[in-house]
Amino acid sequence: MAMSDFTIISRSLSSRLFSTVTTALTVAVAVGLMLTLLSLREAGRDAFSRGGGNMEILISRDASPMASVLNAVFYAGAPPRAIEWRKFEEIRDGFPFEFAIPVQQGDSYRGFPVMATKPEFFREYRPGLRDEWTVERGRIFESPFEVVLGSRVAEATGLNPGDRIFLTHGAADSPDAHVHYDFDYRVVGVLGRTGTSHDRALFTDLVSSWIIHAHDVRQNADPSVTTTTEADLTDADRQITGIYARTAGRPGAEVSAAWQMVFNRLRADPTLTVAAPGREMERLLSIVGEIDSIFIAMAIVVLVSSGIAIMLALYNSMEQRRRQIAVLRVLGCSRPRIFGLIVTESAILGLLGVAGGLVIYFIGAGLVAGAMRQRLGLVINPVLDPQWTLAVVAGTVLLASLAGVVPALMAYRTPVAKNLRPLG
Amino acid sequence: MTQAAALQIQDLKFRYPGAATGSPWVIDIPALELAPAEQMLLTGGSGRGKSTLLQLIAGLMDPDSGVVTVSGQDIHALRGARRDLFRGRAIGMIFQTFNLLHGFSAMENVMAPMMFSQIPRREHRERARALLERLGIDRPQARPETMSVGQQQRIAVARAVACGPALVLADEPTASLDPENASIAMELIQGACTEVGAALLCVSHDPAMPTRFERRASFDEIAANAHPASTI
Repeated sequence: MAMSDFTIISRSLSSRLFSTVTTALTVAVAVGLMLTLLSLREAGRDAFSRGGGNMEILISRDASPMASVLNAVFYAGAPPRAIEWRKFEEIRDGFPFEFAIPVQQGDSYRGFPVMATKPEFFREYRPGLRDEWTVERGRIFESPFEVVLGSRVAEATGLNPGDRIFLTHGAADSPDAHVHYDFDYRVVGVLGRTGTSHDRALFTDLVSSWIIHAHDVRQNADPSVTTTTEADLTDADRQITGIYARTAGRPGAEVSAAWQMVFNRLRADPTLTVAAPGREMERLLSIVGEIDSIFIAMAIVVLVSSGIAIMLALYNSMEQRRRQIAVLRVLGCSRPRIFGLIVTESAILGLLGVAGGLVIYFIGAGLVAGAMRQRLGLVINPVLDPQWTLAVVAGTVLLASLAGVVPALMAYRTPVAKNLRPLG
Repeated sequence: MTQAAALQIQDLKFRYPGAATGSPWVIDIPALELAPAEQMLLTGGSGRGKSTLLQLIAGLMDPDSGVVTVSGQDIHALRGARRDLFRGRAIGMIFQTFNLLHGFSAMENVMAPMMFSQIPRREHRERARALLERLGIDRPQARPETMSVGQQQRIAVARAVACGPALVLADEPTASLDPENASIAMELIQGACTEVGAALLCVSHDPAMPTRFERRASFDEIAANAHPASTI
């Protein structure tokens, strides 16, 4: 192949391989960080907004609507105060609901939260706006002491339909946690993945949950008590911690017309905490949004630093290259072409960094998405937005080119005669 | 129409920037001419300004006054990139330390000036290969820094004549060589110039050199106040 500008640039980069690799790596880290943050931001928003599913109103006695959503939808912790069954019935019958599903939380199994509810949880409530529940193996629970596993729980524990387990009262790390050894649960099914926090929960029947807690109460009062059945339950035992509700509306409509009226009337009850999960998610995302703006600003700072690294690498190489530049000038290379060679070399360093950054992004985003799924049960699918990607790529190459301007000016001004003299 | 002289110098005066007005000129040459394909040796002691003269002729420095014409073109009348391009096409240079491009093969060194010439790209490789072969380089893909000094000299010669220049300027081309290799190198340089039809202006203070040139002059002889017909 004939000599070309590209030969000169590639030879220059390969002759300083260590410097080239470390400089490109600096750019790659910055680009990878930037792309990961940008894609996870969008994917995270999607995942969070999927969390509420088709529920419009969440009723609880949590301290705030936000806490209520975090506890009841994202299983952040056990709701601190209960709602009596009678109160639930009063609410359910007093409003035009399409569904009002009682849920109770507080127990766990090997760190995974347990949600006690009714079978209509799987018929009426949908985890995503349009996503139905699917059963991967077995079936949904039908009677007390049957449990169905979220997909993540099944993966992590290796449990299968037919296995028997004991639940822990309270979260595993809470001081009053203890295992309910008197009652074993039978695994009857494993749910398909929903991509929501529900994937890391276990679901069981409300009645069994009431029984094991009533048994605790009765045993405390009278240690000779050895068994508790549904017949032993009192009104005080029948408690729930939340209500997943949706007002009746036109089929297919995402939000019903009655929603605002019902919401306002429920809010008038001072004993209840009433949350609109969608609205709480927006609030949460606006807080998170500010944090990720800070991260993105940091990524920009890292990117600018990598630009400075390019400039330094080229600047330091100029001393060694003065003779080469002088020789090229003697051979007929013009000063603007020398300038162009250095700026192009700088831009290529940026491009190498972009390529490395994409690799880092694909690895990094995969790792973060995996961690989010494992820790939060949030399934996020990091996708590169073409516009953002193009902006990051173009911005990086532009920044790299700008970083090459100072060394290129040095090269442009290299005195030829002085640099052709014999060394020594 | 007669062919333009390879080199014509008229009233060339040069003093280093910053030198006091009225201080002696470093270069002061009333007239000097080289016919096409003519070869001339210019001798003189160190620090006499021989290299400076070559750089003025190549348009790497600007004179205070006077005209340098290479192949009919006043080189200092050209500005910026046009002068660089003209130099690349019309003038070949050979240096005492060769000034080869490190990190590039012998072939690439010879092809480098062709990048800036009008020679079609597809011919570069073959042209460089043939030149190196004629000059006895049997490892054209090897890097010059892995070769002997004599071989490096050959590559420098090949590079200087690669674009078929009208004028080759050789600055102490044998200073790094022992007498035997110096003689071989000069033979190569002169032979290569003759082959491509380039005039050769060689500056040197090598005492063995004058016998190789029909036309020779000392720096003092061509300078102002010397006899205008400087040929010995």
